[in-house]
Amino acid sequence: MNAALVSMVVPFFAAMLVLMWRPQQQSWLVIVASIVSLLAAMMALLSVIDSGPQSLNLGGWESPLAIRFQLMPVNALLIVTTAVIHLIVVCFAASSHHCQSIKQAFWPLALLLHGSLVALWLSMDLFNWYVTLELLGLAAVSLVTLAGHKALRAALDYLLLSLFASLTYLLGVVMLYGQYGTLDIALLATLTEADRVTQTALLLISAGLMLKAALWPLHLWLPAAHSSAPTPVSALLSALVVKAPLFILWLLWSRVAPSELAVPMGFWLALLGGGALMIGGWSACRTPHLKTLVAYSTVAQLGYGLLALGLLLHWQLNDLQAALWLFVVAHALAKTSMFLAAGEIQASTGKKRLNSLRGMTLTMPVALFAFAVAGGSLIGLPPSGGFIAKWLLIQPMLIEPAHWPWALLVIIATLLSAAYVFRVVSQGFRQSSVSATATEHGKSAQWLALLPAILVWLMALFSEPLLQLMDVFSA
Amino acid sequence: MMTDIQTILPVAIVLSSLIPGLLIFSLKESQHRLRITLNLAGVFSKLLLVGWMLHGVSQGQQFSFNITFLPGADLILQGDALSLQFVALSSVLWLATTIYAIGYLEGSAFRSRFFGYFSLCVSATVGLALAGNLVTFLVFYELLTLATFPLVVHRGTDAAIRAGKVYLAYTVSGGVLVLMGVALLHALAGTPDFIPGGYLSPLVDQHQAGLTLAFVLMVLGLGVKAALLPVHGWLPQAMVAPAPVSALLHAVAVVKAGAFGIIRLVYDVYGIETLSLLQLTEGLMILAAATIIYGSIRALQQTEIKKRLAYSTVSQVSYITLGVAMLGPIAAIGALVHLVHQGLMKITLFFCAGNFAETLNIHHIREMNGLGQRMPLTMAAFTIGALGMIGVPPIAGFISKWYLGLGALETGQSWILWVFVCSGLLNAAYFLPLLYRGWFAKPAVEWAAHPQAKRPASVWNETHWMLLWPTLFTALLAIVTGILAGSDFSPLAWAQLIVAREFAP
Amino acid sequence: MTLSLQLFLASGGILWLTGLYGLWRNSDPIRRIISLNIMGSGVFLVMVTLARRETSTDPVLHALVVTGLVVAVSATAFALRLAVASQQEKR
Repeated sequence: MNAALVSMVVPFFAAMLVLMWRPQQQSWLVIVASIVSLLAAMMALLSVIDSGPQSLNLGGWESPLAIRFQLMPVNALLIVTTAVIHLIVVCFAASSHHCQSIKQAFWPLALLLHGSLVALWLSMDLFNWYVTLELLGLAAVSLVTLAGHKALRAALDYLLLSLFASLTYLLGVVMLYGQYGTLDIALLATLTEADRVTQTALLLISAGLMLKAALWPLHLWLPAAHSSAPTPVSALLSALVVKAPLFILWLLWSRVAPSELAVPMGFWLALLGGGALMIGGWSACRTPHLKTLVAYSTVAQLGYGLLALGLLLHWQLNDLQAALWLFVVAHALAKTSMFLAAGEIQASTGKKRLNSLRGMTLTMPVALFAFAVAGGSLIGLPPSGGFIAKWLLIQPMLIEPAHWPWALLVIIATLLSAAYVFRVVSQGFRQSSVSATATEHGKSAQWLALLPAILVWLMALFSEPLLQLMDVFSA
Repeated sequence: MMTDIQTILPVAIVLSSLIPGLLIFSLKESQHRLRITLNLAGVFSKLLLVGWMLHGVSQGQQFSFNITFLPGADLILQGDALSLQFVALSSVLWLATTIYAIGYLEGSAFRSRFFGYFSLCVSATVGLALAGNLVTFLVFYELLTLATFPLVVHRGTDAAIRAGKVYLAYTVSGGVLVLMGVALLHALAGTPDFIPGGYLSPLVDQHQAGLTLAFVLMVLGLGVKAALLPVHGWLPQAMVAPAPVSALLHAVAVVKAGAFGIIRLVYDVYGIETLSLLQLTEGLMILAAATIIYGSIRALQQTEIKKRLAYSTVSQVSYITLGVAMLGPIAAIGALVHLVHQGLMKITLFFCAGNFAETLNIHHIREMNGLGQRMPLTMAAFTIGALGMIGVPPIAGFISKWYLGLGALETGQSWILWVFVCSGLLNAAYFLPLLYRGWFAKPAVEWAAHPQAKRPASVWNETHWMLLWPTLFTALLAIVTGILAGSDFSPLAWAQLIVAREFAP
Repeated sequence: MTLSLQLFLASGGILWLTGLYGLWRNSDPIRRIISLNIMGSGVFLVMVTLARRETSTDPVLHALVVTGLVVAVSATAFALRLAVASQQEKR
């Protein structure tokens, strides 16, 4: 537990340090803080594997007053993922030739985002989630504004929607508190009944969270905000920030909600997930802009998460949570890679459109390769992390003939994702009319973009320990 | 000590092309000497390792390597008689094609990329052949799709990109179907190792619908690569790729990967008993027979050499599927030996087509007139390949057709004989005119005006030696395997060994 | 629960809905920010009302309201700054 706290506190502390002290080489301080946070996160994961879930009541208060932190295998894994991605992204931001123009404000804000995320993963309390969601939202919006004047409008829309979603969430939380007198997840889980107030409260909370996670059909703000942000920020937002509400949604419906409510809700969530896969995938196949394509792919891929969550609830099948969280981790890594690669390519050509990718296999081979490798995991090609998650998801669909229509949904979603990934890749193989020459600078940034894509394929090699980790938790 | 080698050898065979491939990616265009060295080192070490394993398997040794992967489904690489049939074929042909490709691409751009992906393709093919269970097979099957795409679009022209998209649309869809089939079988029965006679027979009563659906899904998915009838459309389109790619991949590795998958599925997953209970092979047989006839008719309609060869591939690969679907031991020998024989003959034909195009810029059939005067050796190789395809003894094609015909009689499916006769006639109809034009017609104006039209002093110089020698090598192999079919080391003898093991009670 | 408490709860709900309506109907950033604040007031009203639902006042809810207010103030300030900036950009 202490290690997890270190992993949370170090980024906050470093953010303060950067803000107050304003050192010359901010990037180095941030990278060091990220490394420390990652090491602490890994120790936290090891301690969970060794000694099981641990919890901590903040300030020594007893429940029900206490704000409780809990470390479980799932959020330990998420903390590690967060730290890994933050480390890669800050290294990218420090090394990329095209990120020099990013204002100095990036460094403390990125640290703030990191700390807020870890705090959210650790919290087991409805109101503390509200606070961390707000922190996360404010940090994320500020990061989007760093892209300069043209991103202001998207940032403002993002902020207003995020605040609206928070208030919707808060109203639901208050209703639950009025009914049961506690905010702690574990306590609520023992108390809730399937009455109308609980149902309304849960629906309000879910609506707020789904808006924040850009789950279809509440996704409309995402493509604008994520594609107009600076490249490292897009990666952080798509890979991590949208996953936070999903985490709350999962705990809420699988722990707090009584099964009379969760089973029918699961069906609708799964249907919405299917909608996200279809519409998001289709939009990604249509858009003419590279970064917008990647953003729509996030909308589509979140559909997998929602589908897994919905079916988990609908069939009351705890095995599916391994699928859910592997999806989240695999997508986080793959999407980081994709956004970094796409951003690097876009910055070097100076054009947003997809057809500016011509001849990229010659000029920026590593970036294009990173995009393709990450795309392979999104499609779910074996042996990648995305494949393992998909495999776990389709197993229960296939075993009952009555569930086969869901498998059809997955087939179509896979084909759509293949279509939009190869839309980009095949452009890169097209001959370029201008004889471009390979650019030597920016090599390290391209390799950094490739790194998470390789990690997501390596996940396949470690699938067994990962699954064991999930099993420990569900047992 | 021996046990270590038995574990490592299957991986080493895959790595012997994978590692050079990855190294080649990092090379600069100008480092062509190093690239060639790496390529050849990969080729020869692979041949050596395969030879070692062939010897071991014929002595009855077991080779197996596994690492954990999915719950209940490890990644397993193993060498049995069936996998070696395919591994040996692809390794030998990889040798010929590598030399051919070095000559063919001399001086062109993107060679590091080309040879890198080319080696990856061979690794995927070999891995797929050595796969010890369905999940491993699936992994390499999908990797093969990924690794071949860059080769199809290699030239980067609009036509190439279009063909690449068609290719992907077919193969990715097929891959998804195979994935679903494999996952369905895994849900029903887990993923045990491949075993002669299959492992699904205890489930027939309980899960008839599931098993049937899985079979249909997988045959459709594998049928994409094997170019079975409704899903064959990518193959003629993919002919925009450079000649070595068409030769090794589209005539041999990729289509054979599909056919090989069907063989595995029928013999080692479902088993003959289960399939006859489920009555699924009837449909497969009709589909394969229809593809044979359809491919031949379409081949007859083509005016481009490569397109005609492509449709001929569509037709010929389905002989394998048909032989497998008949479920009899003699037909099985025919199918397995055709896997090798068709590969040898078809690669020869594609090499020849590449030589014609490269030397005299000949792409259409009408331009072949009188080619025998200018390029007698290539034309001779072409003749061997074409006659073999028709089934003229003593060339290899005759042997496989003979066994397939016998098999049809043995299983009582005499209508299939008519399919063979019909297809043989069609083969003759689309190949013999080419031979006539090449040897006996007057030189066509198209190539007669070509600067290279004058015949060089020595016949051995009719084209670049790196293009000529591989062609002659494979043509020679096609004859030798036919003549020496009765010996102990022929593909036929090996096919008989496989069948003896598969059909053992 | 007394009638007056229910009245307060209902007004809280109505405020929340009014804010929602305003957010939905307006496109001007300033008006939308105000609508959000009205929504927030509705939630806070519900919270303080619920704190009185038993004989003793529930301190937890009061603490939450204070926290909520802090968040709301800072978020509003940030939103206003963004709104001004994006207006300037337009001009």
